[in-house]
Amino acid sequence: MHSTRTTHDTRTGDERESRLFAPCRAACPVHIDVPGYLTAVAEGRFTDALEIVLERNPLPSVCGRVCLRPCEEGCRRCLLDDPVAVAHIKRAAADFGSYPTQQKARPRPETVAVVGSGPAGLTASADLAELGFQVTIYEQKPELGGMLRYGIPDYRLPDYALDRDIDYILSRGVEAVTDARVGADITLDELADANDAVLVTAGLQASRSLPIEGADLPEAIMALPFLEACARGEDVEVGKRVVVVGGGNVAMDVARAARRQGAEQVHVVCLEDEEEMPASDFEVEEARQEGVHVHCSWGPAQVVGDGTVCGLEAVRCTSVFDHEKRFAPKFDESVVQEFEADTVIFAIGQAPDIGDLGLECTERGVPEVDPTTLRTGTDKVYAAGDVVSGPTMIIDAIAAGHRAAASIARDLTGDGRMLADLDEENAVLGEVPETMSSKLETRRRLQMERLEIWEAVGSFDEVELGYTEYEAAREAQRCLGCTTGARLVKEKCAACLTGMRVCPHGAPHIKVGGYVYFDAEACNACGACASECPAQAIAIEGYSEEEMSRRIERQLVHHGMGTTLVFACGSAPVLPEIPGDDVRLLTTTCHLRVSERAVLEALREGASHVVFAGCVEATCRFPYARPIVTKRMKQIQATLAEIGMEDSFVVIGGADEEELAHL
Amino acid sequence: MIVVRQKPIDDILEMVARHKRVLILGCNTCSAVALAGGEKEVETLAELLRLATSRKGASIEFEGAVLQRQCEPEFIEELEEGGFDAFLSLGCGAGVALLSEKEDIPVYPGIDTLFIGASKGLANWQAECSACGECVLGETAGICPVTRCPKGIMNGPCGGVSDGQCELGDRDCAWVQIHERLEELGQDECITETHEPRDHSTKTLVREWDMSEPGERK
Repeated sequence: MHSTRTTHDTRTGDERESRLFAPCRAACPVHIDVPGYLTAVAEGRFTDALEIVLERNPLPSVCGRVCLRPCEEGCRRCLLDDPVAVAHIKRAAADFGSYPTQQKARPRPETVAVVGSGPAGLTASADLAELGFQVTIYEQKPELGGMLRYGIPDYRLPDYALDRDIDYILSRGVEAVTDARVGADITLDELADANDAVLVTAGLQASRSLPIEGADLPEAIMALPFLEACARGEDVEVGKRVVVVGGGNVAMDVARAARRQGAEQVHVVCLEDEEEMPASDFEVEEARQEGVHVHCSWGPAQVVGDGTVCGLEAVRCTSVFDHEKRFAPKFDESVVQEFEADTVIFAIGQAPDIGDLGLECTERGVPEVDPTTLRTGTDKVYAAGDVVSGPTMIIDAIAAGHRAAASIARDLTGDGRMLADLDEENAVLGEVPETMSSKLETRRRLQMERLEIWEAVGSFDEVELGYTEYEAAREAQRCLGCTTGARLVKEKCAACLTGMRVCPHGAPHIKVGGYVYFDAEACNACGACASECPAQAIAIEGYSEEEMSRRIERQLVHHGMGTTLVFACGSAPVLPEIPGDDVRLLTTTCHLRVSERAVLEALREGASHVVFAGCVEATCRFPYARPIVTKRMKQIQATLAEIGMEDSFVVIGGADEEELAHL
Repeated sequence: MIVVRQKPIDDILEMVARHKRVLILGCNTCSAVALAGGEKEVETLAELLRLATSRKGASIEFEGAVLQRQCEPEFIEELEEGGFDAFLSLGCGAGVALLSEKEDIPVYPGIDTLFIGASKGLANWQAECSACGECVLGETAGICPVTRCPKGIMNGPCGGVSDGQCELGDRDCAWVQIHERLEELGQDECITETHEPRDHSTKTLVREWDMSEPGERK
């Protein structure tokens, strides 16, 4: 547009005045812009999606596979059918998108040493490198990743998937020294002297054991060494019968890994009842599917054996917690059961192993830190992640890594913006109102393809095979677009009320003074209002005429004679085969987002034909908007007829031969 | 508000044919609300004209801009110099006229100004007022005979009415509607009142309305 002296507010995304988060984003400890990257994937823009995830989480390939996904519990689709498969889609972004290569910040002189390379350490390193600091990770194991590599079995998180993220983090300028145990090979003091800051993210490297009879038998082993041996690809002789003690996710990993090491009978024995078990429901379910037996409410009494293990004796556990919710198990010793076993593996918790660092610790062996700044009692030394907090989710450790980096950055540069940003309060979008839910169709979550059970237990191969690009886009189309919907650019608004008249959910209202405002709870970002607004005064996240122009230009930049540009609906399950030598595809959330102007631009840029494909009732994401799309298609045809180009625009629903004959 | 409609593209092409660089100028008040002169229509028309002229082998540049109201000189002053040799205005007649007065290059109307109308819902307007300068709506139950009756007669219905329909066959008879509505309002006495013929000078002779000189009507 030719400019006038008046300028408009065109701020988008995080620049907005208020931070209203979708429940998925609010529930995520690092507040990834979930609706933002789901929108990108829905349109097939995997690299854009990956970049959005990376803004808040440097481990998308990891979290796409093994995050416990608190975001999905918050999904507003839960009330309609199933939550959107957020993590699966994140994995697709990492699988199909390209990691950025451009370095952002100018290098700074300060150096930071990071002890340990689990999620907290990797995240802090990535953040600090991004800010220009010289970061060196010290890792005691031969490869980076901490528990991600040596704790989580390959069938859930294979090395190639972890390496994608680690390679990206190293590419940001992070150095790494492996096989170097701080406290033994180099002391913490030496690191503190040589650097401007040291961050301890050593995690929980020690397995807790039980002081029961027989626990010292050779076949009574600990979870972490067992998992590490599995991760290193070693064959661990566990015999035919394995008993795993513990009820958390680590116990499930151990049980399933034991199946893969050849155990035919695997019994998980835990104190808690089904309800109290700390393991995630889906992890327990997956273990059961692989033939693992879970026995709740049993307390291990002794490992039975005479020189070698032959079983675990357990007594009935009547309650685990006292009335103040403290751990205080009670037993009924008259109810006894023996579980036969060749190997007993304890997976009852992990503890820090940082005695040789010389940090001031609490009675529980945990370093003392300030909860806001994560500073320890030792000058220049910070600590974060599970070593401080005890066992948490990976995404919690990532959040801790961000905080540590923000705190170090503030102390070294005086710039506290990053830290302030972490502490900012956010408003959360409320529930789906009836005006909207009544117009939404049930669409169940798309299940990801998995190895058959018999294949899965035969090796450590990855069980979940990932979505195809198309499946990821289809699943992302289920997103209700919470908080990505209509936003008024007040300065441009002509108060025409068109938006009110096209919105099926009654999201726009008139404010005193004649302004229109949008009720975010009632908006599912279909874009009907934005696409019809004569003043172009309504913004929708991820969609604008400028963005559409860029996408068209990219598609047609090296076009030949006879290029057909296809605007394809991202909801259509199968797109028709479009004839022609040079067919370019541009996927969109809905044809609502392809304006008459965009079609004209594509023709002017050299496309010989423009096709609207896949707008069919059966798969429509916004059925109420179809009349608007249909009207627009007619309008485009009428406009082109005025200049004798009516044959240049073709609408194809499905693979209708008659429709295709027009091309 | 003033309801407008875009001109046929051939008419527009003919008007701008001899120019090299044309600014399409929207108006973000009535024309935008009438879905014919907002930023969206400006950009769409610019794209259409580029496409149409390039197909004809002509080389005319089209740019777009939007003013809040073209009928205000201060808004027109907002326009920045852009080396244009013509304007294509998507404002109503008043906008085209004021632009022509203020700018020293030709201004062409890209839309036709239809009537003063009221919204009937999405993209639909009813003609309600012809700006005749002598309002009789108080006596005609809010239905304008000048606008709604094709003959604009002040006493009706005429002999062309049939079953409440106008003889043109495309609309209800305004005068039958006026009588029915007056009856509903209990203003039956108005039905038999005879109205004076309209004073056309109120429309044709009025030059301007200057409120700064109270008591004077020009």
